[in-house]
Amino acid sequence: MRERAAPLTVSSGVAALDALIGGLPCGALTEIAGLDSSGRTGVMIAALAGATHRQEMCALVDASDSFDPVSATTTGVNLERLLWVRCNDIPRRKSGALSAKLGRLEQVLKVTDLLLQAGGFGMVVLDLGDIAPECARRVPLTSWFRFRRAVEPTATVLLLVEQEPCAKTCASLVVRLEREVVHMRDLALCNGGRVMTGGASGVPESNAASHAALLHGIRVRVEVVRSSIPSSAKTALGRDTRWMQRKPVQSAGVNFELRAKW
Amino acid sequence: MFACIYIPDFPVEAMVRTEPLLRARAVAVLEGKAPLVRVVALNEKARRLGMQIGMTKLQVAIFAAPEEKSPAILRQRSPEREESAHSALLDVAHAFTPRVEDTAADMLLLDLAGLERLHGAQIKMARKLASRVGVVGLKGNVSLAANPDAAMHAARGFNGIKVIPAGKEAQQLGVLRLGVLLDAFEISPGKNLATARDREKQREQILDTLARWGVRDFHTLAQLPEHALASRLGEAGVHLQRLARGAGMRILAPCEPVSHFEEVMELESSVETLEPLSFILNRLLEQLCTRLEARALAAQELHLRLQLERRVTDEETPTAKELITDSHNMGHAEHILRFPVALRDTKVFLKLLQLELATHPPRAPVTKVSITAQPAPPRSAQRGLFLPISPEVEKLEITLARISSVVGERRAGIARLLDSHRDSFRMDRFTAAPEESQQPHLTTSDIAKQPSLALRLFRPVWQLRVKLAKGRPVDLATVGSSGDRAELGGRILWSAGPWCSSGDWWTENTKQENAGKDQPCPWNREEWDIALANENDGGVALYRIYRDSGNGNWFADASYD
Repeated sequence: MRERAAPLTVSSGVAALDALIGGLPCGALTEIAGLDSSGRTGVMIAALAGATHRQEMCALVDASDSFDPVSATTTGVNLERLLWVRCNDIPRRKSGALSAKLGRLEQVLKVTDLLLQAGGFGMVVLDLGDIAPECARRVPLTSWFRFRRAVEPTATVLLLVEQEPCAKTCASLVVRLEREVVHMRDLALCNGGRVMTGGASGVPESNAASHAALLHGIRVRVEVVRSSIPSSAKTALGRDTRWMQRKPVQSAGVNFELRAKW
Repeated sequence: MFACIYIPDFPVEAMVRTEPLLRARAVAVLEGKAPLVRVVALNEKARRLGMQIGMTKLQVAIFAAPEEKSPAILRQRSPEREESAHSALLDVAHAFTPRVEDTAADMLLLDLAGLERLHGAQIKMARKLASRVGVVGLKGNVSLAANPDAAMHAARGFNGIKVIPAGKEAQQLGVLRLGVLLDAFEISPGKNLATARDREKQREQILDTLARWGVRDFHTLAQLPEHALASRLGEAGVHLQRLARGAGMRILAPCEPVSHFEEVMELESSVETLEPLSFILNRLLEQLCTRLEARALAAQELHLRLQLERRVTDEETPTAKELITDSHNMGHAEHILRFPVALRDTKVFLKLLQLELATHPPRAPVTKVSITAQPAPPRSAQRGLFLPISPEVEKLEITLARISSVVGERRAGIARLLDSHRDSFRMDRFTAAPEESQQPHLTTSDIAKQPSLALRLFRPVWQLRVKLAKGRPVDLATVGSSGDRAELGGRILWSAGPWCSSGDWWTENTKQENAGKDQPCPWNREEWDIALANENDGGVALYRIYRDSGNGNWFADASYD
């Protein structure tokens, strides 16, 4: 059997992540999974910043209407090149054949179908970050398969941001983000609330003014859960990624910092 | 060289233009108020059935009886349709030459001097003109002659295409009957007769006199002695004789090209559903796009105006008098489509109008449809080979309209930040050809090196119950349900704040529900950044919460992610 050609990849906007996965594959579905404050939104916005900087048109299908344009602008997203679709729970009209209220997930699937059919977008991002995993898992596999088939012959990066991976084998690349340490001015918090430096655990009892404490950023660990990118693909650093085969779970990962911009 | 385009039975042709299926039927156009409704125009098939101009509605009704083998179609005269057809004719003429005389509703004169190199020989020009007239849905006669009068008489007298070589006007026009000459004479300039009735009277008088002399065609009239004719018929007689000899008598009065592109259709019976309306829209859009194409223009805006039937409510007594359509009580529905670039694609326009009407259906049955296009030069952009991909403008417009029908209006587009400390924004239209950004320019390396912490906003914000210790939040819980999301709650591990901010206190709008919308609303808040312990996974999550200084309530409005 002939080996499938390596897909083109584009920068994810995070150098450490590019070094690990070789960039985001074009014409494929990539999943970025993580819980609250795991840095998935930072990575998503960094990817959008990179794409808009390459003068590509991007689309963000925002299931929970949680996108912050100010954060995006600070990171470098050119909002003029970003189509932001804000799904909502509000019934759209009082009468007519289509009066039935569509759920957020249904809206996301319909809109994504339309965007992929229209074509011409460099990156289409589905933000399901605030959708509970049990709801996201209810999306039929056929939908993800349809999306994958729709982007395969194109140069579009289809990015899915969520809490838990849900596209199963339709995703070419699945990475999981976990926050390791939260850096503040006077202390650092690990998972479990363990204090690494400075102060006692719990609310700081320092005499410093409470507004003098500042959030500096978070350190994120990224791990490749699954990758079906052919072994011939090279990372941005030029390393051979022969280890990146379909399944099993990879133990390799990297850490990077997401800094607060103030 | 001059050309004349003449549309016989113009009121009928204007009908057939918007309803092409009528071309195979006998059609009679009626005008007047009951009981004086009379036939004013017929097509050839109707004439063959025995119908005549001037017949009353009652007289022609027998030809339109359903038991007839092929019943005739009777239609009320539509000035709007005739105006649209006339504008289409002018568009065709102006696309051919800039010197066009708007002689009558059914007739145009064109100066073709110097156009041979552009359009070819005379016969080619005539064929091209006839074909272009056919493209806009009209069937007419086209003639070319050395002077405008000869061209006009030839167009009125000969069917199809007629080219009269210079110097052979008298010979070729000689076979035409005198009625053609007098019809044209009636509309010739320079005759300042008081009324149409006077003109008609004079025309009948001259025709009677000439008939009594045995003069029935151009050739016979041209042979009469000029002095004798002048002594009997006066100046009019001499003028008519010169015209019959094919001599040029007039100077062309060119008109300005029209820039109003409107297509109108009055419906015989009102339309209640969108499907039949789509067929009407398609026909009108086809005509509109053909006209725009003839002038090498495209549409920047489309205005759809629907005239609605008066709806009698259940409470009202639907007496016969009330059921008579009263134009003064009719409602209108207006839809405007604006495009980021000028478009000229019937299918795209139709799809966009269908989506618009599906989103905003008319409140009552539609009795009249009117579509107006705002003309603009078509886009002339060539894509570079190495430019990044971008959506096709036509596809994108349809996609955006479809997305809006899924998520609602103003829910898809570009976020444009407003100059406010509240981090507010407004939604703008997304276009495939964006304006140059005003944002600071970051290099690729900057973007790669600076991944930053982002906010995920909660829309709407969640109300919280917060415990304080020494003025700082130490514990919180969500008040009420927060939808699909897991609820916030637990011990606060770290907090920083408060950062106080306020604004828009100078506005009079105090309704909180308007906050974040187009109307500014006063706000005053104390923000805190907190790290919250997650009871389930033992992790730490970062949130931004605030206390509304106005009512003392706590809210969570974002998470750091």
